[in-house]
Amino acid sequence: MTWYNYSTYIFCASGSWITGIILIYILRKKSIKWIADIFLIAGIVFIGIFTIGLWIELERPPFRTLGETRLWYGIFISIIGLVIYYRWKLFWMLVYSLLMAILFLFINYFNPDTFDKTLMPALQSPWFIPHVVVYIIAYAFLAVSSLIGLLGLYQLRLNKNIKKTIILADNIVYIGFAFLTFGLLFGALWAKEAWGHYWTWDPKETWAFLTWMVYLIYIHFRVNKKQNVKSSLWILSFAFVILLICWFGVNYLPSAQTSVHVY
Amino acid sequence: MNKEKKRKTWQFPWHYLESFIISISLLLIGFIIEWISGDTIIKLPGWPVNLILILIVISYIIIVQNFFKTSIVKWFSSPQAAISAISILTFLILLMGFIPQNDETTAGFAKTIGLTHVTRSWPYLLCSLYLIVILGFTIVRRFLPFTIKNFAFFLNHAGLFIVIVSASLGTADLWRLNMQLVEGRAIFTTYDNNGKSFNLPFAIKLLDFKIKEYPPNIGFYSLKDNKLIIEKKTQLVEVKEGNSKILGNWNIIIEKYLNGSKKDSLGYDTSNAIGAAPAAYIKAVNQISSKEISGWVSSGSFNSLMKPLALTSDIELVMTIPATREYSSDIRVFESMKEYQDYTIKVNEPLKVHGWTIYQTGYNEKMGKWSKISIIELVRDPWLPAVYIGIFMLLTGSLYLVWMGRSKQTKKIKNNDMV
Repeated sequence: MTWYNYSTYIFCASGSWITGIILIYILRKKSIKWIADIFLIAGIVFIGIFTIGLWIELERPPFRTLGETRLWYGIFISIIGLVIYYRWKLFWMLVYSLLMAILFLFINYFNPDTFDKTLMPALQSPWFIPHVVVYIIAYAFLAVSSLIGLLGLYQLRLNKNIKKTIILADNIVYIGFAFLTFGLLFGALWAKEAWGHYWTWDPKETWAFLTWMVYLIYIHFRVNKKQNVKSSLWILSFAFVILLICWFGVNYLPSAQTSVHVY
Repeated sequence: MNKEKKRKTWQFPWHYLESFIISISLLLIGFIIEWISGDTIIKLPGWPVNLILILIVISYIIIVQNFFKTSIVKWFSSPQAAISAISILTFLILLMGFIPQNDETTAGFAKTIGLTHVTRSWPYLLCSLYLIVILGFTIVRRFLPFTIKNFAFFLNHAGLFIVIVSASLGTADLWRLNMQLVEGRAIFTTYDNNGKSFNLPFAIKLLDFKIKEYPPNIGFYSLKDNKLIIEKKTQLVEVKEGNSKILGNWNIIIEKYLNGSKKDSLGYDTSNAIGAAPAAYIKAVNQISSKEISGWVSSGSFNSLMKPLALTSDIELVMTIPATREYSSDIRVFESMKEYQDYTIKVNEPLKVHGWTIYQTGYNEKMGKWSKISIIELVRDPWLPAVYIGIFMLLTGSLYLVWMGRSKQTKKIKNNDMV
């Protein structure tokens, strides 16, 4: 399985997800609405099969390039969307997560990666997979929280009660933040093994730390619940901007030309 | 809201305004000290002064927090103070994220106030101290009563405290030394990053330096653009005898592959000599015109020429230089002339010996797999166990966050409609 076979799988996955969403809407009051669930899960299975196939073909874990991380992001954000939908019954959340997943998968389709089997010695470590996986899970949760933040700002505008929204945002941020902490610390433990020191202020490290700090500000700002909710929501949106710089933007910063996290 | 307006600045309890005035002042004072002190480098005290200092700070916080419950002490463990401390440090590190660090070429204002070497500057020192003190007061205040929630709070906050404190204080006691090993020679001289030399109480001899490589690839080289044509989605042809692959309009067949070769009058022949580059005999068949071209291709090395195979007037077939898969050094560590032990070190698999951790960091890249030199780094970090304790406390505390989310606290909210 290589990127050549990719189009088949993403069209199947996107098709299943969109059908699933439409079916949820059509069958929402009928007893056969489980059919929609099958389509939703099938979409994840399609992407899963492709990823496993790619892994086997590459003979290394597909976590190295930006395109490969986008693939995983597509998988995790769709799973998280599904779980949140079943747990909190938020239909819009499901639609958003799946559209995000489709968007990320199609970025890979229009701007494909080169197929590269090599894995440099520093990346050949048991820490490689957990480090990247927890980061991608964290990013997926935090992306969701930022959207909830925007929804909250919109609801405020309409003078709606946003109590439920902000509670949901808090919960998602806590989970995402915990995964962010895992990613940061796994990275530190790995760096000690690979480069001799757990923290060297590599530009990507600096930005990862910044991301962590900004979410820390949000969490502490929310300790006092009487506080201005609007400011909290703005902090949440700002935090996601920092996260995006950390994920994609760093590669373009002049301060990051010597980073060990090049991909 | 009216209450807020009536409250004057600096009237207790302090809020965001006071907290931020304090943190921003600290930052500005830091910039000024940095500016006045010029090129003097901050030196943190080493063992055992650093340990004594931090113990004094911790005892001070515990005593003050427990016996002097004034408004200002309460402020030290308030979320407002915490946010002001985190924000100001975030701001400073944000500047660091945009300004290239430790770049000797940048000078001027940014350098004068420490922004080109943030982590060794006064503003950074003051802001982190501020954060550490506030974190300390917060930990002591929430330590009791003992509940699971408070325990998770303790793990997260004390874990962070331990990591920051021991990582910062540890820098003075941290040794990072570089050593260049040459095959067959026992060496005990090492150099730090400033080029100062130190002699180790033991010697290291490089027995053998080994490199494993990925097979080279075959691809098209455009003479017009002077670069390798890498088509998206496709893989270059991996060189393996009998391998064939369609690349563009051509079917590339690898008829023969020599891992190491030398050129002779007939073509290429097997060789194990130093600098013997890989070579392959290739047949390329154009699928449209059925034109057949065959010949040798070699990646070349530091002492043999690369050999392309011309397909058209502006396209050549070339072999890439093999990428490194793994490199390692077999070393012998001598305690005395007669006492020694042999080890292998490689990237991601350091060696712990005599209180040092030895890392494989490099080799002579120009010589590649024929390098007789191995570059290693020796690290001694006595504060590492403390950092690890902090890290594992944070990991455990974070597990609680994943498990509980914010759900426990949210139950309270449902009963009062403050939000």
